[in-house]
Amino acid sequence: MTTLDHAGPARPARGPSRWVALAWQLLGLVLILGVWWLLTDVLKLYPPYVFPGPKAVWTEISYGLWGSGPQDGKLLSAIGGSLRRMLTGYLIAVALGVLVGLLMGAWRPLRTTLGAYLTGIQSVPSIAFVPFAILFFGLNERAALAVVILEGFIPMALAVSGALLNVPPALRVAGRTLGANALGLTLRVLLPASLPNILTGLRTAWSFAWRALVGGELLIGGVASLGEQLEVGRNTANVALVLATIIIIGLIGGLFDALLRTFEGRVRRDYGLEVPQ
Amino acid sequence: MTRLALTVALAFALPSLASAQEAQSVRLGFFPNLTHAPALVGLERGTFQKALGKVKLEPKEFVSGTTLTEAFAAGQIDIAYIGPGPAINAIGRGMPVQIIAGASEAGAVLVARKDSAIKSYKDLAGKTVAVPSLGNTQDISLRHILNENDLKSKADGGNVTITPVAPADVMAAFAAKRVDATLVPEPWGAVLEAQGHRIIGTEKTVWRGGNYPTTIVIVNAKFAQANPALVTAFLKAHTDAVAFLNKSPAAAQAAVNKQLLALTGAKIDLRVLQRAFARTRFTTALDPAALKEYAALNVEAGYARSAPDLTPFLRK
Repeated sequence: MTTLDHAGPARPARGPSRWVALAWQLLGLVLILGVWWLLTDVLKLYPPYVFPGPKAVWTEISYGLWGSGPQDGKLLSAIGGSLRRMLTGYLIAVALGVLVGLLMGAWRPLRTTLGAYLTGIQSVPSIAFVPFAILFFGLNERAALAVVILEGFIPMALAVSGALLNVPPALRVAGRTLGANALGLTLRVLLPASLPNILTGLRTAWSFAWRALVGGELLIGGVASLGEQLEVGRNTANVALVLATIIIIGLIGGLFDALLRTFEGRVRRDYGLEVPQ
Repeated sequence: MTRLALTVALAFALPSLASAQEAQSVRLGFFPNLTHAPALVGLERGTFQKALGKVKLEPKEFVSGTTLTEAFAAGQIDIAYIGPGPAINAIGRGMPVQIIAGASEAGAVLVARKDSAIKSYKDLAGKTVAVPSLGNTQDISLRHILNENDLKSKADGGNVTITPVAPADVMAAFAAKRVDATLVPEPWGAVLEAQGHRIIGTEKTVWRGGNYPTTIVIVNAKFAQANPALVTAFLKAHTDAVAFLNKSPAAAQAAVNKQLLALTGAKIDLRVLQRAFARTRFTTALDPAALKEYAALNVEAGYARSAPDLTPFLRK
């Protein structure tokens, strides 16, 4: 999770240095687990119903992911449900964001009005929109989806419009001189030129949407989701399940972030924005 | 490095040292429901405070047993009125719980929205049903009803959506058509009925012919050990409150109504409250067999993997 974040934006680690980094990350993980185990299972500073040890959390994870009892496997179906909701929402958000971002990039009045509003809305925590979404769509997953789309759409739109503005004027002039019309210029010059920044937007949109999803799922309930697992754990005094779900949410978030980061890093290298060491 | 470790360890250890030996106050948890009437009556008439003498009573209200359990786990509740579902869960997780008395039985009904087509339990297929909170006593009952009727919740791969809504908020949720039915404790069933909504499961058909505990009294075992006299005094006040509810129902209803108005802002018609009273029994007796069956239902609902043996946790 956190260890992945510190990997840095696509540091071109090759050969031994990659293994060294991996070793450090593993060491960090072992250290965290060790301290956790020491505080809970060994020193017993907290009762298990307040802060369970790694073993109890592992039990929940193993029951939830590959247990075969009638009540097992719920974490797995929760992950499936959340990811499906996330991918649907994310794809819609990205499509909408690219479209609105292009319009904002092309038309200044839209940029100064809508752009400013979007920046404002972005500062509102996603959970604040959930009650409103529930009124609109009902207590169901569409409400959560709506918030995911909203939260993913804003950083995407802002990233695209910002990226278009950051394209060096020389490229624009060159495109025009070579006879590109407005559409051609946007699609064949501006968009490709702003790809690295757009990829950063994709990553930001992912992390915003992922957080919004779990927050929304917490409130809607009733469908298989990671948010519901958190709520069930909380409601049945099963703190181990809560911790297990938190770890899974962090792992999935970190994994996708790393994936997008790798892609982003490769593109940035290809564009000559990062110098391979 | 060692000093840092020591500081960290101390910081983690401090909260557990904070629990005092001789209690200066009794923190009482309860909900603004008719099924918690002994608590409401005891508070309204000052029965508890009188019994505790100089020790201050600090009442704290909760919407459902699950939030109360959280406060209990954090060591912020000494004595509580709570449903058997959360109490059994707490015991299963190793919380220091002692069950000291019964408070009410039955008093939960399944209500369908008047403009829905739901007439029986079977019609719940494909609908959204509200419970006070996931994992609470009514939720466990509802899952048992679904099970008996070959239905399943959506999270378990079925088509019934179970969603948590505070009982006092169900009226609004019905009006907005956000939920189709609800399993609620009284007086909220009678309140919904008075608005024309349909009762499709009475307190008797919900479970066990109406012979099930809805509210019991629990105490933090550590608190009980340190303050046996306080617990005995409270138990006596609780017995008095239950006796008052059974002996002078009219006066008790007025007291309950006053507390409900103060706590939820909902003014309940006295006739509605009477109907809710008729569906609820108040008793200090505990039925270990019913509790045991509840623990089994908790497993069936998927909230626990095994039912704990409750015998050591019952006060003799």
